[in-house]
Amino acid sequence: MVTGDVETKGRIKEIFYLGVLLALSAPILVVFVLLVISSFGNQMATNFDFSAFRFTLKNWRLLFEGRMAITGGVRENIWLHFLSTAVVAGGVAFLTTFVGALTGYAISRIKFKGRKILLLSMLLIHALPGSVLIVGVYFLYRVLMPQNLVFIRYFSFFYVILARAALEVPLSVWLMKGFFDLLPWETEWSALVDGASRFLVWRKILLPLIKPGIVAVLIFGFLAGWQDLIYVRTFLIDRTLATFIESNLETEMAYMPLLAAAATFYLLPTIVFYISSQQLLFKVYAGGIRR
Amino acid sequence: MKDSKRSLELWAFLVPALLILVVFYFLPTILTIFISFTPLRNWNIDRYARIFAGWRNYYRLFYAIQNDPSVRAVFLTTAVFVPVTLAINVLGGLALALINFFVGKRSNALINTIWLLPRMTPIAVYSLVWYYFFHGSEIGTLNSILIKLGIIHRAVSWGQEFLPYGAWSVIIFVNGLVGVSFGMIVLSSAVKSIPTEHIIAARVDGATDWQLCRRILIPQIRWHIMYVATWQLLSLLTSYAHTYLLVSWRLVDKSYGTPWALYVYELAFTGVFDQGLAAASGVFLVIVGAILGWLTLKILGFNKLVTEPRGDL
Repeated sequence: MVTGDVETKGRIKEIFYLGVLLALSAPILVVFVLLVISSFGNQMATNFDFSAFRFTLKNWRLLFEGRMAITGGVRENIWLHFLSTAVVAGGVAFLTTFVGALTGYAISRIKFKGRKILLLSMLLIHALPGSVLIVGVYFLYRVLMPQNLVFIRYFSFFYVILARAALEVPLSVWLMKGFFDLLPWETEWSALVDGASRFLVWRKILLPLIKPGIVAVLIFGFLAGWQDLIYVRTFLIDRTLATFIESNLETEMAYMPLLAAAATFYLLPTIVFYISSQQLLFKVYAGGIRR
Repeated sequence: MKDSKRSLELWAFLVPALLILVVFYFLPTILTIFISFTPLRNWNIDRYARIFAGWRNYYRLFYAIQNDPSVRAVFLTTAVFVPVTLAINVLGGLALALINFFVGKRSNALINTIWLLPRMTPIAVYSLVWYYFFHGSEIGTLNSILIKLGIIHRAVSWGQEFLPYGAWSVIIFVNGLVGVSFGMIVLSSAVKSIPTEHIIAARVDGATDWQLCRRILIPQIRWHIMYVATWQLLSLLTSYAHTYLLVSWRLVDKSYGTPWALYVYELAFTGVFDQGLAAASGVFLVIVGAILGWLTLKILGFNKLVTEPRGDL
């Protein structure tokens, strides 16, 4: 890159640096590529031994038919696991964004008693992940649990979404506050003076203006819910793809490629969302920090 | 009249967040402290939750740290795992951010994409790929590479042999990669916000890349490095999701693969189901974390982080 007449970055060195970066990043890429290749193989490709390796779609077929080795004759409905994972992820995404947009607005625009304490506790909670409190959160879950067996199933979905979203709320509030801070105060001022309620202004004027921010936080929340393992295995009665993989690991060597297929399947939505919204997500991760 | 309407509006904006704070942070903290004073086990709330056990759980905890080798191992593991992983996270993130500065924008995006992958990946999948990588048989990637190079002659179970260093290396490596991206992204954007004039001035004076980093770039992003370090310290101390499966799949030794936060979870939800003891160990962690968190905000300057709101009528 050349700025004015002075070269601030050397071109030959740039190639060297890029080489170093790629060499450092290689292990990450290799392990993921090996996983995907293995999912299409008659055996694992993780040892780079391709002499007996044959391309096959058998793993994927067995996976979608729900025929895992460990379950014997019982079939596992992988699509049902997919659906549970998506419900949890969607719930977390919606809830974190909704709460973030409401509270972020209040902190950005309204002066009220306790504002500083609220912001301070959000920061502290964001720094200290709530997963340390999981014993207490589970205690509450057991106390609130309904007696009826049918309800328990729905209740567990409801609770896991709330509990998992609670982990992401501090960051989303912080981010949303940042997005609202960027909007000039004049945008809503005239509407407020004309007698519109803050709620109306928030919904009709401000939310449409920070749409990119909302999308970013939505995707961020979705990925957080989608990747979760600890909360779904602790609270959720239904299985998700995460708990499915957790419990099916101890299959025989011969069936390992099948699990690789399951993992690749689980990874797909992440990759799609991630690639399509990278720039937005970088902003989310770089955000949450203001000097 | 108008005032009450306005405060009603304010409440509408705040209630959801306040509910979440109370139900999922405040109450669980109280409950964790409460449970730590009961002999609760097997989640048999009806039977145990109303019994007062005094300091028994805390006494057991300290007794175990002193006398039980496996708990001592957990303690030692935490003492090694947290600082070493933190160093990898911060230095790795800083190194990537600085190198990123010297390469073009397109390569930047590529590197960012690769390094964010560990953080975005579903935890079960991320654990699985490293499970294959460190697997103790010939299908393990590390084993196959080292055997081909002739460095080792039989498959080695990396997380189970050479204790404690084998297990430590595996969990530090796997967790280290997750944290690097945080430092990389925050520090990259900090470096980018340094005024170009400073860099041009240094270049005119003939500064090399290394001098530029040491004298210009790093001093200017000191606050951000501090921010990354303290934040990452808290998160390493309290999160355990990326280690849980490595232990439960027996890729690494149970005692030397378990940092404190995971130990709390394992006590409460796997194996012994001893929630009283788990809560006591959790309280211990919350106190350490809260003190560190408070210090963090002090060091970073809380008032700098909070600006006054705009938009009062």
